[in-house]
Amino acid sequence: MKIKFFAYIRDYTGSKEIEYNRCATVQELLDELCIKYGIKFRKLIFTDDHQLSDEIIILVNGRSIVHLNFLNTPLKQDDEISIFPVVAGG
Amino acid sequence: MFGFVGTLIRVNLTEGTIKKEALNLNDARAYIGARGLGTKIMMDEVDPKVDPFSPDNKLIFMTGPLTGTFASSAGRYEVIAKAPLTGTIGASNSGGHFGPELKFAGYDGIIFEGKSKKPVYLWINDDHVELRNAGHLWGKSVFDTTDQLMEETSEDARIACIGPAGEKMVLFATVMNDKHRAAGRSGLGAVMGSKNLKAVAVRGTKSIQVADPDAFLEKCIDARRKLKEHPVTSAGLPTYGTEILVNILNQSGALPTRNWRDGGYFEDADETGGESLTDKFLVRNKGCFGCSIGCGRITRVPEGKFKGFGEGPEYEAGWSYGADCGVKDLAAICKANYICNELGLDPITMGSTIACAMEMSEKGILSEEEVGRKLRFGDADAIVELTKMTGLREGFGDKLAEGSYRMASGYGYPELSMSVKKQEMPAYDGRGVQGMALEYATSNRGGCHVRGYLTSPEILGVPEKLDPLVTTDKASWLKLFQDLTAVVDSAGLCLFTTFGIGLPEISSMLRTALGLDCTDEEILQKGERIWNLERLFNLEAGFTKADDTLPPRLLNEPLASGPAKGKVVELDVMLKEYYQVRGWDSEGVPEEGKLKELSIK
Repeated sequence: MKIKFFAYIRDYTGSKEIEYNRCATVQELLDELCIKYGIKFRKLIFTDDHQLSDEIIILVNGRSIVHLNFLNTPLKQDDEISIFPVVAGG
Repeated sequence: MFGFVGTLIRVNLTEGTIKKEALNLNDARAYIGARGLGTKIMMDEVDPKVDPFSPDNKLIFMTGPLTGTFASSAGRYEVIAKAPLTGTIGASNSGGHFGPELKFAGYDGIIFEGKSKKPVYLWINDDHVELRNAGHLWGKSVFDTTDQLMEETSEDARIACIGPAGEKMVLFATVMNDKHRAAGRSGLGAVMGSKNLKAVAVRGTKSIQVADPDAFLEKCIDARRKLKEHPVTSAGLPTYGTEILVNILNQSGALPTRNWRDGGYFEDADETGGESLTDKFLVRNKGCFGCSIGCGRITRVPEGKFKGFGEGPEYEAGWSYGADCGVKDLAAICKANYICNELGLDPITMGSTIACAMEMSEKGILSEEEVGRKLRFGDADAIVELTKMTGLREGFGDKLAEGSYRMASGYGYPELSMSVKKQEMPAYDGRGVQGMALEYATSNRGGCHVRGYLTSPEILGVPEKLDPLVTTDKASWLKLFQDLTAVVDSAGLCLFTTFGIGLPEISSMLRTALGLDCTDEEILQKGERIWNLERLFNLEAGFTKADDTLPPRLLNEPLASGPAKGKVVELDVMLKEYYQVRGWDSEGVPEEGKLKELSIK
C-alpha cells in the first residue's frame, strides 16, 4: 500500500511517500509507522492516552477515516493512505 | 461613539463635491458595519436594476466597528457596489492596512456617487479631504500608482487603487490596497474605473474608542490566545499559507481539474501546493493589520523566464492557474498571480476563464488564429501571457476580459463556463463536497467560497466533522455559516479567525467594543438580516430561483474516479431544504413573516 505524508508531517518522516507492507487496519499501520519514525512522530499522531490526535487527518483512498470505521478501518494492499495535519485556507 | 468613529464621506464625482455626514447609528447597529451597512445603503439609495457601469451605481468603501481595533485580525474593509460580473449585489473585502487607516483618519466609510469627467483620486489626510487630478496615474500599474501616490501625498499613506484592468473595465477587475491585497471578486475595480476614480489615499492619526476598554481587551486577548492555540491559525496557515489546501483537496478527490472536466484529482498537484511553494519560493510570511496569523506569502521566483517578486499565490489562484489549467509549473503560477496584482485582476476568474478557453480550444471551438496561439491545457506560458493580455484588453484578452460565461456564450457554449450567476466557482468540486455546491448555488454574489465555507467541516473537520458526500443537514449548516460569515465580514474581522474562534468570542468583542446589550443569537440574527437584505437586492435586480443553480457539468456528469466516484451534486434536494430553513417560499423569496422577524420591512 502507498502511504503519503503532507505538510509538516514530512519533517518527521523525511519523505513524501512510502510503500508499505500490508497492515490489517489503520490502527496497525499507525502503530508500525510510530515504530518506524520514532517518538516525535508518535506524539504527533497520538495523544498520551493513545487516542488519535484531533490535529491529524487520515484519508483512506480519499475518504476520511472519520466517515469510515475510524482506526478500525480495514486496509487492502492497493489502498492509498494520506496523513495530514489539520490545515485550512480558502 | 464606540467602535465606529461616526462619520461618512460622501463624494459626488459628477459634481466634484465632498460632504461629511453622520453615520446612521440605527442602521449601523442593525447591519453591524462594512458589508452589512454598505448593502443597506445600496438598498436605500440605488435601484437594484441599475447598470453597474451607470453613474447611478454607487461605490462604497466601508469599515466595520472592529476594524482598526485590537480585536483579532481586524484589518478588513469592504467594497460594495452592484457588481458588473454578476449583476448581483457586489461586496468584496480586503485586509492589509487601508481599512484601519481610514478609521484612524476619522471615517467609517466613503460613498462615491456619479462619474468624474476625468481621472481623479481622493486624498484623505485626517480632516482634510480633497479630489485630485489622476491623469498622470491613468494607465499605471497598481504598484507604480501606489509608489507615486505615497510620494505625492505621504510616505505613511495607505493606498487603495485600480490598475489598468479596472480602468479598462475588465469585468473581474479588483480594487487593490497596500499593493498586494485585493477586494477581489465580482469586478468592483471595474465599477471604480467606470467612475474615473483611480485611487483613494488615506493618512490618519486619530484613535478609535471602545465602550468598555478593560473588558474589550480581555475578550481580544482571549480570542488571540485561542488563535495561538489552534493548529490551523498557529501553525498551518503561518507556515504554509492557504496553498496548503491543494493536496488535501486533491487527495479528497475534490480539486477541480482542467476546467472541471477531468474530475477532482490533478496528478501534479503536489508540485503546485503549499509545501512546494514554501520549499521553492517563500521569502517569508506576512500579516495584515493586527493579525496574529500571518497567512500572507511574500514570494520570489529567483530566475528563469517567470522570474518575479510579489505576494501569493493563495490557494484559489494556485488552483485556477494550476490544476484548473492543467499547469504544474509553480513559477508560472506565481508569475501569473503577480501580474493579477499588478494589473488589478481577480485570479480566480482569470485562471478559470483561461481554463475555459483551453477546453474550448481543445474542442476546436476557438481557433489558433483567434487566440493567437495554440492553446492547450498545461501551457505554462499561456497563463502568463493571456493574463497580461486580459488586463490590458489586448488581442484575445479582450474576450477573456468578459469572464468565462460571456466568452463561452459568445460562441454558443455557456455550459463550458464553470460559473454561477456568471462568476467562476473556486477550487472545490461540489460533486465531492456537497455542502460547498449548495453554497455556490445560493451565494448572494454568485460562485464563491467565502460566504459559507462548508469545506471547513466537510473536508478539514473544523469545527465539526461532516461527511462531504452526503446532503443531510447541509442546508442548516450552510445557513449558520452564511449568517456567521456575514457577521464576521461586517464586523471588520478576517474570516480566517473562524478557524480558531466562533460566535461567542466574536460576539464578546462586538459587545464590549460597542457597548451592546444583546445575546450571541441576536448578533447572529444580524447576520441573517444582512443575508436576507442581499437576497432582496438580487431579487429586485431580477434574479429568480432559476439562477440558484450550477453548471450542467456538476449536475449531470458524475465524477469518474476517487472517493466521490459516480457522484453528481444533489442540488434539488438541498435547495428545497435550504429555502425552508431560510424561511423563504418555494421560489426562494423571503416570506413576509421572515422579513418582519428580521425587521427588514
